[in-house]
Amino acid sequence: MLTLRAIRKSFGPTTAVDGISLDIAAGEVFGLLGPNGAGKSTTIAITTGLLVPDSGTVDLLGLGSPSDPAVRMHLGLAPQEITLYGELTARENLMFFARLYRVSAPHARVDRLLELVELDGRAHDRVATYSGGMKRRLNLAAALVHDPKLVLLDEPTAGVDPQSRNRILDLVRALAAEGKTIVYTTHYMEEAAKLCDRVGIVDHGRMLDVGTVPELIARHGGHSTVTVSRGEVHDRVVTADPVSEVARQFGSGGVTGVRVERPDLEAVFLALTGRSLRE
Amino acid sequence: MMAILALAQKDLRLLLRDKGDVFFTFVFPMILAIFFGFVFGGGGGTSKIDLALVVESDARIAAGIAADLESDASFQVTRFDTREAAIDSVRAGKSTAAVILPIAMQDGIDGLFSGTGIPMDAIVDPSHRAEAGLIQGKLNELAFRQLPKLFADGAQMAKLFDGARKNIAVSKEMSLAQRIAATGLIAAGESFTSSITRSGTNAPSVDPNDLSTEKTAKSSAKPAVSASSWSPIAVTIAELPPRLGQPRSSFDVSFPQGLVWGLAGCIGAFASSLVLERSRGTLARLRLAPITGAHLLAGKGLACFLAAMMVQAMLIGMAVVAFGSTVAQPAMLAVACVAGAFAFSGIAMLIAGICRTEAEANGAGRGAILILAMIGGGTIPIFFMPPLLRTLSYGSPFRWVVAAIEGPFWRDTAPADQVMPLVVLAGIGLLGFLVGMRGISRPFGR
Repeated sequence: MLTLRAIRKSFGPTTAVDGISLDIAAGEVFGLLGPNGAGKSTTIAITTGLLVPDSGTVDLLGLGSPSDPAVRMHLGLAPQEITLYGELTARENLMFFARLYRVSAPHARVDRLLELVELDGRAHDRVATYSGGMKRRLNLAAALVHDPKLVLLDEPTAGVDPQSRNRILDLVRALAAEGKTIVYTTHYMEEAAKLCDRVGIVDHGRMLDVGTVPELIARHGGHSTVTVSRGEVHDRVVTADPVSEVARQFGSGGVTGVRVERPDLEAVFLALTGRSLRE
Repeated sequence: MMAILALAQKDLRLLLRDKGDVFFTFVFPMILAIFFGFVFGGGGGTSKIDLALVVESDARIAAGIAADLESDASFQVTRFDTREAAIDSVRAGKSTAAVILPIAMQDGIDGLFSGTGIPMDAIVDPSHRAEAGLIQGKLNELAFRQLPKLFADGAQMAKLFDGARKNIAVSKEMSLAQRIAATGLIAAGESFTSSITRSGTNAPSVDPNDLSTEKTAKSSAKPAVSASSWSPIAVTIAELPPRLGQPRSSFDVSFPQGLVWGLAGCIGAFASSLVLERSRGTLARLRLAPITGAHLLAGKGLACFLAAMMVQAMLIGMAVVAFGSTVAQPAMLAVACVAGAFAFSGIAMLIAGICRTEAEANGAGRGAILILAMIGGGTIPIFFMPPLLRTLSYGSPFRWVVAAIEGPFWRDTAPADQVMPLVVLAGIGLLGFLVGMRGISRPFGR
């Protein structure tokens, strides 16, 4: 579906993307996980053809570079910023983009999208009057108006309340269920873990590793920590086999409590970069 | 084409939903046009109606009407020697109407019972149609107030009765019975006139307010003319006739001026639209869509063009409907409006294409354009400008649009003389679109 080969992009002395390569299969939900400034958005911009890489190639659907409008037709982008016309209504915004993409039966398509993002009740209100979460959902709907095969979601939950975040995550799941290929950038590891089939860890413009969440944890997460309590005494044991360790502790008697901490993507990121994802 | 129309529709919607842009594009130019129209003599400044009076007739009744007009609290009367001078005063906006008491008044008096009435002419500024009715009513009233004096003039009345008797004699339409009745009526009239002359009464005690055209007509016998159509007074109201190369009123000049500001408003609104797309991030979406820079330029240009056409149509329509302007050459005016809209869309696209920030676009769109509008006739009509400014005005696109509009609007310029402004405007538009195209294509990278 999407192939990036040795993509490099610099802005003056700053290297934003440093030789990233990727293969994303059709129907896959792929997460680009990294802190702010890691190069995720630049990678997305290159993938859409909005930015031309200094070197490397991008191929979409085997059709070639997205700088070709015919190729670009197959991708939809929900940028990190809200890229909508605040003085137009939700329906007017979507109708405008539908007409730009020459969508057949645009009214029906727009109605369906408004339902999908649960904005059909506010379809005739100006976007400027929407909450942050509503704008985010409409921003996503605008990316879907022409029913693209590949959907690029750049930090789609940035700055929204938990309720809106859950709605957006549900939407992404719904899209995945429809068979869309999704590239999802985030710096929230929980989102990446919940949504993505595979995750690429990005930092300083480099792809540090790619794999499923269990694979990444297995490779870089380290061992689990078992905390055993005996009254007021708490013992921590780092182990590769937490189940056996818990059994062993119970066998030795006097155990009043056990807590098992399994490694997560945060631990993966820490192991790969030497710093926390949220730093 | 669908993408271009979608872009144009979207930009027009955004324009119409921005209160500031709507004000500067549509409301402000109209206010300026009306303001300057009044400043340059459109009237309405005083409660009295300014009349330009010409007394051509030496009849006593003319002198009486003139004196009554001058003493009437509703009017501010200025006497002129000639009809042309009075009409010029109306055309210049100094007088609301010219009232002419013509030489033919005496003929009207002589044939009071057989003619079409004592004539009086009023020529009204078309922008003062509302006052025309008042002027007509007042002239009738003043004329009727003079009639009793006329009836008390024995010699004049004898002349009148002689004329009427001759008309009865030669009339082929009257039956014998009608002739006898009419002759008897004339004899009674002669008897009445001689009695009031003998008694030394100069005027019968008739309440002038009780006289009306209808009543007078019913009480008069006029064999040669049907009673229902006869009136002793005939006030003719005409609107100021157009004169080649002269504005009918100050509004003819002020509305093209207002139009300059409307077009400047369009530039202000659309010149910054591309940088706004960039700053609000929508340019990224537009670039992702299957459109080119040319599509975007065409869409924005079309929106600007339509807005410019709207503002021109609105202002010219208002000048015609509300301020009495007439269009000398409608087809050519339409061509001029199209050329003006094209030129200013081109300028807007040029600024949109070359400016990278809102500050730049606003500076160029509202700053430079403001200066160009001023030297191009936006504040002071070019013919009022000193020679240096008049020369400088050739460098302003606004000068050319004013020239292109005024030619077919009120100057009634020969078509050959209208070619130059149209060509200049087309050139400006083309240049603007070409330079804008280069600028707009850059972010599209194709």
